[in-house]
Amino acid sequence: MNKVRERSHFGDLLLWLMRRRSRFLVRGESMSPLFRDGDVVLANLGAYRAHSPQIGDVVIARHPYQTNEIIIKRIAAIDDEGRYELRGENPLESTDSRSFGAVSPALILGRVTCRL
Amino acid sequence: MMSMNPLESVTKLFSAEVVSAHCDGPCGIYDPASTRIAAEAVVSMTKKILALEVPDVNNAKAMAAYLNTLSRYVKIKEEQAHIAKTELLVLWTDYFKPPHVEKYPQLHDIFWKAAKLCSACKVEVNVEKCEELMKAVKEIHEIFWATKDRKIEWYLAG
Repeated sequence: MNKVRERSHFGDLLLWLMRRRSRFLVRGESMSPLFRDGDVVLANLGAYRAHSPQIGDVVIARHPYQTNEIIIKRIAAIDDEGRYELRGENPLESTDSRSFGAVSPALILGRVTCRL
Repeated sequence: MMSMNPLESVTKLFSAEVVSAHCDGPCGIYDPASTRIAAEAVVSMTKKILALEVPDVNNAKAMAAYLNTLSRYVKIKEEQAHIAKTELLVLWTDYFKPPHVEKYPQLHDIFWKAAKLCSACKVEVNVEKCEELMKAVKEIHEIFWATKDRKIEWYLAG
């Protein structure tokens, strides 16, 4: 599990300047209390080129049924077929793998590294 | 608040892509109870229509009262059958997802039949169709709460 940092370091911003990190604006409360509505996070969209996502990673993923929607969730489990169970931090306000099922690795776009 | 990183303010000049951390619906609140209440109203109105006594056709006052009551019952039955169908469609298309269908392969068939029964109850004055509709709504109630790992007992308001 790669821990998400609550604050960015100077290095994170340098990586962002070098286009190694992308900024995302969080909308909704499904990742509360880790991220609140309006928080901006940095994600490494190349994180899973070298290795696959791990349980506990907070990831940016494509919604399996609303393909123009990008979601932020935590990986809760990996099933026998290598698909990822995604969960919000706040189960009461999250639509996640509990309703849309486990998602294929192709839908995981990157790993969230820190809050900006 | 003072920013620790001078670069941080620079990042704010660039727009960030939105990532969604919310639920599908504006509230995510679904409950087959809304279908059940409308379906129960259809059952009740069907029974009331059938129980209405037809007055002497020569008694104008009694006839007017009868037709008035009958029209009201029919109107309510029409409305409630339509509401039941709408509520079913919302559950079917918004709440239920492909993984649910994998687990309950009969799901589409149950919903399709239930929606058809709403129409049948609207068109006809048929107690048997009403009972079939209630049976279908009960099945949906059971599957719905099973998908949420909750045991919610089936009950009727009427």
